[in-house]
Amino acid sequence: MNFFRGVMGGQAAGPQPSGAETIQKLCDRVASSTLLEDRRDAVRALKSLSKKYRMEVGTQAMEHLINILQTDRSDSEILGYALDTLYNLICNDEEEEQDEAMQKQSDDLGAQFTEQFIQDPEHITLILSLLEEFDFHVRWPGVKLLTALLKNQGVQVQGIILVSPMGVSRLMDLLADSREVIRNDGLLLLQQLTKSNAAIQKIVAFESAFERLLDIITEEGSSDGGIVVEDCLLLLLNLLKNNSSNQNFFKEGSYIQRMKPWFEVGDDNSGWSAQKVTNLHLMLQLVRVMVSPVNSPGASASCQKSMYQCGLLQQLCTILMATGVPADILTETINTVSEVIRGSQVNQDYFASVNAPSNPPRPAIVVLLMSMVNERQPFVLRCAVLYCFQCFLYKNQKGQGEIVATLLPSTIDANSISAGQLLCGGLFSADSLSNWCASVALAHALQDNLTQKEQLLRVQLATSLGKPPVSLLQQCTNILSQGSKVQTRVGLLMLLCTWINNCPIAVTHFLHNQENVPFLTAQISENLGEDERLVQGLCALLLGICIFYNDNSLENYTKEKLKQLIEKRIGKENFVEKLGFITKHELYSRAAQKPQPVFPSPEQMLFDHEFTKLVKELEGVITKAVHKSSEDEKKEEEVKKTLEQHDNIVTQYKELIREQDAQIQELKEQVATMTAQSEQMQTTVTQQLSQIQQHKDQYNILKLKLGKDNQSNSQADSQVNGLQTEELTQLREEVEELRQQHTLLQTQLGDKDALINTLQSETAEGSAAASDNTELLKELEALRSQVQSQSVEIDQMKTERQELLRKAEAVSSEAVSSSDGSLDAAKMAEVESRLAAQTSETERLKEESKSLLESRAELEQQLATATSTVAILQTEKAKLQTEVQESKKEQDDLLMLLADQDQKISGLKQRLKALGETVDDEDDLDTRDQTDEDEEDEDEDED
Amino acid sequence: MAYAYLFKYIIIGDTGVGKSCLLLQFTDKRFQPVHDLTIGVEFGARMITIDGKQIKLQIWDTAGQESFRSITRSYYRGAAGALLVYDITRRDTFNHLTTWLEDARQHSNSNMVIMLIGNKSDLESRREVKKEEGEAFAREHGLIFMETSAKTASNVEEAFINTAKEIYEKIQEGVFDINNEANGIKIGPQHPTTNSTLPGNQGGQQAGGGCC
Repeated sequence: MNFFRGVMGGQAAGPQPSGAETIQKLCDRVASSTLLEDRRDAVRALKSLSKKYRMEVGTQAMEHLINILQTDRSDSEILGYALDTLYNLICNDEEEEQDEAMQKQSDDLGAQFTEQFIQDPEHITLILSLLEEFDFHVRWPGVKLLTALLKNQGVQVQGIILVSPMGVSRLMDLLADSREVIRNDGLLLLQQLTKSNAAIQKIVAFESAFERLLDIITEEGSSDGGIVVEDCLLLLLNLLKNNSSNQNFFKEGSYIQRMKPWFEVGDDNSGWSAQKVTNLHLMLQLVRVMVSPVNSPGASASCQKSMYQCGLLQQLCTILMATGVPADILTETINTVSEVIRGSQVNQDYFASVNAPSNPPRPAIVVLLMSMVNERQPFVLRCAVLYCFQCFLYKNQKGQGEIVATLLPSTIDANSISAGQLLCGGLFSADSLSNWCASVALAHALQDNLTQKEQLLRVQLATSLGKPPVSLLQQCTNILSQGSKVQTRVGLLMLLCTWINNCPIAVTHFLHNQENVPFLTAQISENLGEDERLVQGLCALLLGICIFYNDNSLENYTKEKLKQLIEKRIGKENFVEKLGFITKHELYSRAAQKPQPVFPSPEQMLFDHEFTKLVKELEGVITKAVHKSSEDEKKEEEVKKTLEQHDNIVTQYKELIREQDAQIQELKEQVATMTAQSEQMQTTVTQQLSQIQQHKDQYNILKLKLGKDNQSNSQADSQVNGLQTEELTQLREEVEELRQQHTLLQTQLGDKDALINTLQSETAEGSAAASDNTELLKELEALRSQVQSQSVEIDQMKTERQELLRKAEAVSSEAVSSSDGSLDAAKMAEVESRLAAQTSETERLKEESKSLLESRAELEQQLATATSTVAILQTEKAKLQTEVQESKKEQDDLLMLLADQDQKISGLKQRLKALGETVDDEDDLDTRDQTDEDEEDEDEDED
Repeated sequence: MAYAYLFKYIIIGDTGVGKSCLLLQFTDKRFQPVHDLTIGVEFGARMITIDGKQIKLQIWDTAGQESFRSITRSYYRGAAGALLVYDITRRDTFNHLTTWLEDARQHSNSNMVIMLIGNKSDLESRREVKKEEGEAFAREHGLIFMETSAKTASNVEEAFINTAKEIYEKIQEGVFDINNEANGIKIGPQHPTTNSTLPGNQGGQQAGGGCC
């Protein structure tokens, strides 16, 4: 304080001796004046002095100014002046030309006053509440003051705002202010507010910040917009950077899709203003924030997916291949594309298919690699291409295969430039940067891919005419031994280490060249300068890999022999120390931090991120391997073998499990389909059941209705349909008539029956008479037989008489007339009379029987007529019965008809109702109501 | 990802009652027995269907610890629904409900739908708060009530969906001003029918139309 006073006092002592005093007077007026005008004038005067006499005003007037803010809430003018004054005190004006000491002093003042101001957190709450004031003169300086406070003492002010209720929400409302100045300064305020405070960032996002900011960006013309767009983008970056929760919210809110139009940059590129470049740069950074390799893999993956699906990646690739794009933007676009495709198979595949619009079209990868190995391209661009290539190959076995394939003899296409050709060209060019980039790029094509490591061993190079071709591996070691630049050698050593790591065949290939091991041991054992330390370390690593992944197939260079060599020529400790040079290198840890190759200068381009991982992995095991004795080694070998056996068993089991898994999966699927089917069945069953139930219900209702209709008789029916009922009643009457006829006939029939009965009984009597008859007949028979016997007697007598007559003749002839003859004649007469009597009697009897027979026939006739009448009656009855049945049927049909029509009517009514028509109930009210009433009556009856 | 409506939810309640687990179960359908203490708030989202309409739920899971209370309060105003959670095996979490409710009522908009949730219903043997007590509390304060288990996923879907149904019904009844996003409700980008029936909201419509 004394120091400041001294400086300021020195000034004040000069031309303006009254400065401090004036301020004191003004303060007194602010504090004691009862008139608002006076106070206002005093504050205005303080404001005008606050820049020049910043320290004096600050130390003397701050309390008074704060008091004004609390007490003079009603006058926006005085509030405005007070806020402006406070702003002048707290804000460190950077625009004015000041020397460093002055700037420092100004900063210190700002910090000091800020601290003083926020000592009471209520002061911040006060400003927050003032921001609710709509008046421009209050709100605007309020926003500026709060921004300045945040700039000076961010963490504390953030803390106070965070805990004041609705604090952040109120500040968010600034973005909705119709006055652009306030909205724009609100953006700056929010930028300060959200700086590295995740809690506030989340609240701001919760208050729909993404939506509003994206809207503002669109309104302002996206990348063609001005500084407001830039401010929005900066705020968005603040909200999303390292805030996974907000990133998730951004993704879930489908805001990634809204970024796509940002990159719809025309190909004409007439204007690439500085602002546009800045805006696009920030836009690209926003995309990168969402897919940054430091994010959780799952989060990045889903963002990458939606970036492909919404066409954002495609849009970026268009910029990549467009002409006239500023190098700065192009570089950042390449970096962005890199991270959008990194580790995402779909996006990588898409990227591989992108062609440059050249003639003939070339794959984008090839075009990019051309830039990477081109010395004239900017360094950052070349780094970006390398990054892009690395990201393309990251976890992409297919892509690795495709790149390596362009180098294989069988697939080389001599007519077009391939990625492989460019890489080889880079590997052996005179430019060390190209060497390094090509080495690292090729190493990434082999990363974790044993197949490609073995494939690449097949590559042969034609170095110069007349000489036999050399293998790529050999060529690399050749260049290594030629002692080129450190960068080149480091690149090649990283390539070799990656190549032979975990690949015994490659190790054997490498050792096969007799010159390689002596070269390495020489490099490691020599006492070289600082620059060569890294190369030494890498040589040690390479040799270490040769030991660790040695399958002992070369007699001269078995594990054991190599170890002995180290012990004799280098010394174990020395070897390990040299190995340690790698991780101790100052650039190592920087490269280990993140995958993107970023180097302050081309010379510092030494380590690749993936390679640092490899070193971390191998350093320990190689150290162990070198230190281990041969016995240990043997033991280890045994253990390894048993482990391998175990591994085999495990893999067997794993396979079994996999098979079973597959089976289970299959069965599960089956079960799923079955259950789905059964569910379907069940649903159909239930549907059908419900249908049946419906039908039943309908049926019951109909039945009930029918019953009611029947009960309520023709009355109701006639009202429903007069005609039919009339017919019905007619029919009913007819039926009734018929029934009566029927009963009549039946009684007649009964009578007849009775008659018949009597007749029958008579007939029975008749038959009794017949039995008499038969007796008579018997008598008759007897008589006949008597008659016959008598006639026989008569015949006998005749014959006797004739004999007698003949005898008499004979006697007469003998002349004797005899009296006997006369006697005989009397006798005969007697007999004859008796005969005649008997014959007449027979005659009489015959007549009698005849009459009896006649009477019987008569009776029989009578019986026949009676039975015939009965039959006629019966047919008549049957006819009547059928008639009755027919009429009944007709009646049923009519009832059915009736029911149908009823249903139709109700259906139509419901439809009408459903269509919203007020159903003309009057039409059927009379009928309905009555039937309803009837029903109700019946219900009541039933109750 | 078109939706008819977007609802913002918050989950509140004492620390350790299972708020984050409820959210995880609802969004990811998994259960994490050991969960880091929530710092401030965490975000989760899921799409559901109500009445044949796609509804997007954006859920902010808040920290239950007292020290975060001032931060979490900032989320009350903009939420359309709140799940107020207690632990049925810890009576103190039930006893604190009144405080939570007062806080919520004070800072939220008056139409916010609050669902009371008794979590950890799988731990029947350790139960300290009867279901009837929860029901009674809910009845007394006009809340919907449900017992859930984030572990077994029992009733978890229902808790979130029933809350959404309640909000949806309130929208249908016209209780919510759906054009004021501060209520925690947003009309989806493709929702022509509702927009056409609501005259005089051109600004809101334009903002919505610019989306996607």
